[in-house]
Amino acid sequence: MFSMSVGFIPLTDAAPLVVAQHLGIFTRYGLDVRLEKQNSWATLRDKLQAGLLNAAELLAPMPLASTLGLASKKTPMIVPLVLSQNGNAFTVSKRLHYDLLTCHRLSELPFPLPAKALAEVVKMRKENSLQKLRFATVFPYSCHQYQLLDWLGSEKIVDDVELLVIPPSNMAESLENGSIDGFCVGGPWNAKAVRNNVGVSLFSSYDIWQDKPEKVLGVSDSFYQQYPNEIIALGAALLDACEWLQHLPNRFEAARWLSHVDYLNEPVEVIAPSLIGSCLRSETQDPVYIPHYNRFSGDEAMANCPTTESAKFLADKMLNAGQLTSLSVEQIEQAQKSTFRPDIFTQIQAFRNNRKAQL
Amino acid sequence: MIDMQPDHTSVLNILLIDDNESRANAVKEALRASRYRVKHLLSSGASLLKKVDELQPDMIVIDIESPDRDILDSLHMLSNFNPKPIVMFCETQDSDFITQSVRSGVSAYVVGDTDQKRVRPILDAALARFEEFHDMKKALEDTRSELASRKTIDQAKRLLMQKKQMTETDAFHAMRKMAMDSGQKIDEVAKTLLAMLKVLP
Repeated sequence: MFSMSVGFIPLTDAAPLVVAQHLGIFTRYGLDVRLEKQNSWATLRDKLQAGLLNAAELLAPMPLASTLGLASKKTPMIVPLVLSQNGNAFTVSKRLHYDLLTCHRLSELPFPLPAKALAEVVKMRKENSLQKLRFATVFPYSCHQYQLLDWLGSEKIVDDVELLVIPPSNMAESLENGSIDGFCVGGPWNAKAVRNNVGVSLFSSYDIWQDKPEKVLGVSDSFYQQYPNEIIALGAALLDACEWLQHLPNRFEAARWLSHVDYLNEPVEVIAPSLIGSCLRSETQDPVYIPHYNRFSGDEAMANCPTTESAKFLADKMLNAGQLTSLSVEQIEQAQKSTFRPDIFTQIQAFRNNRKAQL
Repeated sequence: MIDMQPDHTSVLNILLIDDNESRANAVKEALRASRYRVKHLLSSGASLLKKVDELQPDMIVIDIESPDRDILDSLHMLSNFNPKPIVMFCETQDSDFITQSVRSGVSAYVVGDTDQKRVRPILDAALARFEEFHDMKKALEDTRSELASRKTIDQAKRLLMQKKQMTETDAFHAMRKMAMDSGQKIDEVAKTLLAMLKVLP
């Protein structure tokens, strides 16, 4: 048995890790995995870079940021596997929801809400010299950040709002006490805000980007160099878990496990909806069906492949967000290639196929 | 006018974010009768922002395990936030590893324990390091912008010489006169000239 620590942040899309642990998949691959819950992305990153964690579930742009040394020590990371796609949503306060309704004389907002509807409210606030709207995401190098920027950017109102970072578990509370007017976060925190009747969800991340990497498996390049076979085994175990999660009836079981105090410590009624493709909107409206809301596998396993195209897609978003200003095109391209590793993914698949053939 | 107190005796407000009550009390105790004034806060995303706004702390001390760390990491995204030295508690045995990993110089400094005798010097050192780093950063930025403006002035001068058949001295004097007449800096005049001369035939 090879013993290793894997870090994660309590979120619905941590499901592949929790499933692999519960079903004993890690053990079947000869791995003794300790799942270590972390409270903040920055600390998770620092521990991974320092070797206090051997691997971790990361926000897809994070390993690129680490390889490039953005806001952290420059530490080459590799991504052998994509763990999930989609899964985020944008939720606003009841107050901003009310402003949106009155501004447009509507009794109900369309879903997904076009950014133009918000632009009108932004304009109105400017004319009345009201404070800029404040929206929160979970980390500067996150799909949440870029999805919100893309949505706001479609109406050129990025500079008319203030963006900040708040831990996912504090989002609903911050919305309720008025420190923020809206947030872009992953599950179960949108569903929780709706269930507690403190927020209204206006669109899901699937309405902005379709089937792009959301969470990935991240390992420091130096750890991979030292233990390539163990990382391939880890990838194979997680790929098994991702495929298991594609079967809808299994999703409810996963929701029950995630609910445990060691993981999300939240009730099944807020975890299950997104897992079965249900995006809650508000207390009074029916949920919207988004089959790919939490996607863990698909496209004949290509959904799990860390392709060079997806690395480029993310790097372009980082560039648009002004996060790569001090870097040359060559540096960025080099980081895409060295970080997202379809070649290791191919080895993971071959390893699984060999094992299946042997059994 | 009242004498300004020298920096090293002025009161410094510290915002302490820690869910561990006994450790927080130990820190408060260690800093009693010092220039540091401690305000304690339990981890809570929403109130952290309000507290930072209200208190305008001179330094923030935070447990590395606090969920609020991501907020601190991104505070520079807020327009009205000035950088602050940040000290982190780290209780893992391998705190040396983490110390190396946390981006050095920026404002982070990691402490291993809250030994009464150690707390104050650690904070002093973090503050000094932060100030040193910021002085360095500022000096670098000044040098950079000075170089850039010198380059602009040179370009404008060369363009004047080329297009208006002026000597180098005449071109420079002409720009200096324009700067004095319009109450602008010479590099600003150079910028305007460059923009204008480029569109002229």
